[in-house]
Amino acid sequence: MDRIKIFQIIIFTAAIFIIARLFYWQFIAQVTSSGEINSAQIIPASRGEIFTNDDFPIVADQEAFLLYAKPHEITKDSQELAKVLAPSLISEKYATSGAAFLPDLQKQKEEEVKQLQTNIFAHLADKNLFWVQLARKLPKDIKEKIQTLDISGLGFEKDKKRFYPEASMAAHLLGFVGLNKFGDDTGYFGLEGYYDQRLKGQPGRLGRDRDPLGFPILVGRYRTVEPKKGDSLKLSIDRTMQFIVEQKLEQAVEKYGAKEGTVIISDPKTGQIMAMATYPNYNPNLYQEYDGSQYKNPAIANTYEPGSVFKLITMASALDMSLVDPNTRCDICSGPRQIAGYEISTWNKKYYPNSTMTEVIQHSDNVGISFVADKLGIDRFYEYILKFGFREKTGIDLQEEADGAIRNKKDWKGIDLVTSAFGQGIAVTPIQMVQAVQAIANRGVLISPKIVAKIIANSKEEIVKPGEKRQVISAKTAAQITEMMVNAVEKGEAKAFVPKGYKIAGKTGTAQIPLAGHYDPDKTIASFVGFAPANDPKFVMLVLFNQPSASIFGSETAAPTFFEIARELFNYLGISQAND
Amino acid sequence: MLHISDFRVKKQKENSFNLVGKIKVKILVICAFIVASLFFAQLVFANNLAVDGQKLSEIEDQIAKFEEDNTTLRAEIAKESSLSTLSQRAEEMGFEKPSKLTTF
Repeated sequence: MDRIKIFQIIIFTAAIFIIARLFYWQFIAQVTSSGEINSAQIIPASRGEIFTNDDFPIVADQEAFLLYAKPHEITKDSQELAKVLAPSLISEKYATSGAAFLPDLQKQKEEEVKQLQTNIFAHLADKNLFWVQLARKLPKDIKEKIQTLDISGLGFEKDKKRFYPEASMAAHLLGFVGLNKFGDDTGYFGLEGYYDQRLKGQPGRLGRDRDPLGFPILVGRYRTVEPKKGDSLKLSIDRTMQFIVEQKLEQAVEKYGAKEGTVIISDPKTGQIMAMATYPNYNPNLYQEYDGSQYKNPAIANTYEPGSVFKLITMASALDMSLVDPNTRCDICSGPRQIAGYEISTWNKKYYPNSTMTEVIQHSDNVGISFVADKLGIDRFYEYILKFGFREKTGIDLQEEADGAIRNKKDWKGIDLVTSAFGQGIAVTPIQMVQAVQAIANRGVLISPKIVAKIIANSKEEIVKPGEKRQVISAKTAAQITEMMVNAVEKGEAKAFVPKGYKIAGKTGTAQIPLAGHYDPDKTIASFVGFAPANDPKFVMLVLFNQPSASIFGSETAAPTFFEIARELFNYLGISQAND
Repeated sequence: MLHISDFRVKKQKENSFNLVGKIKVKILVICAFIVASLFFAQLVFANNLAVDGQKLSEIEDQIAKFEEDNTTLRAEIAKESSLSTLSQRAEEMGFEKPSKLTTF
């Protein structure tokens, strides 16, 4: 054989080897490399953070992981593997400090572990499955724990999870992030729901070619789209005030045996909400463990009959129309009165003949306010109800706001005028009531409440414009009704609880709850609304208890709670007695 | 009988063929050299790119790890500085709320 032939054979063999190798990389290796080569990989976007007004991240993103298995690659016994994995993959609620001491929870934990074990085994035993998801949103410590077991056929993918450093603080206000039907993170309720589109950002796509070892091929085509982080929100919520309110509210709900309690505090000059709390609340980290009815924020989604607090609206309307003045005397206040077969009486059956309008508010006199309602008439009263923002949403930036329940004017009769004047037969939301009283505190200017002060997008701050502003009553009327409220605090039923040296404007309310067509006398909504200092209000506050059992009256439950919180706020905001 | 002149012509023809052949061989050698050089250069660049790809991959992994650590640390800081944690710690350390507040 001559040299040329030998050379030809070598060249031919090399060519065959190269072609075979190329075929392997192009077809065989590509198939078995789980589709990473030349394929686009989704890069999840980080969800925006939510900060309180002191720049503290009350909601942030945390590293989390998705655990998957490739059953055909698992060499360990599936039954045994399921037994090892299940205790690490159960709900995080069992990892809380108190959980170990609750026998019921321990029993529940054992059952859940057994159930999960069965599910995992069913997945792992099915060798026809190429890839199966075992758990999502696993925290880093659990991932590391599983990794130390060194089990072949298990893998992790990066994910994100919401983290709440203050646990359940402001839970109703914040909402939570859950998975939608496509398995994507979606915000539900509160701020997470309302600002979902802005918070969630845009996922990116990694479209770079990679070699079979997973390294990027730099001469390959770049089709990468960077993920866009979601916008962050800066709230008007004051973390310290929120903390104080939640502590006091929890104590009060337990003390007065109420079914539920709500407190809202706002700045009357800007309409910004400084604190908003409801107790009992839920932990947004473990939202799946709570009943769905607990997700809605009662401060904006529940309606209630406001009771005597609504007398402020009736009186303000009549004062604004100059139909009465603070010294106008009620000439029908000597006893109960009959209207369309109904008896209108006072809450304590005490009557004050010839009382002034200031005294009508002070005594929370139903007969006295019916005198005012008569002067107003249905048309004018209804018009003021609408002007004060009842029957429509306030426009607060939270997802589940309700618009209250006030019947059409054409359905109103004489008795409706009178009962509505003292806050029965109409339903409002707590935030609507705060908005209305804010207008009184703000020289008659109504401002729609807002929670988000700034939106931070790409390191640029976008200031959220204040809500709608409109003059509801004159500044003079606002001053007159404020004086009446101050008088009601200083001489009313709850005067014993008032912090000394401060001028506070306020009004109690006790409304019976309508049940099956009648009012239950033992079940009430007790509330107190007010603002302080009366001459230069720094905050408006509403305290509301649903069905307090220790006492049914607002003056004995909501009012003391209001004053207790107010005392803390005076210290925190540096409002001294001398300033007043 | 072969003429002397004919012999010369043949000789001249052979000489010119040798010259063309030499040039062709030279061209072939040059081409082969260029191809070999380019092939070698490609090998060197491809090798460098492969190494750079690996380096880039390592850098990207490092960035991802730092970002991950950063997120974890930020969460940890937030948790430790939360009011619920601070108030609990203050209580454990024996701090009490002032019963009276004096303003100047």
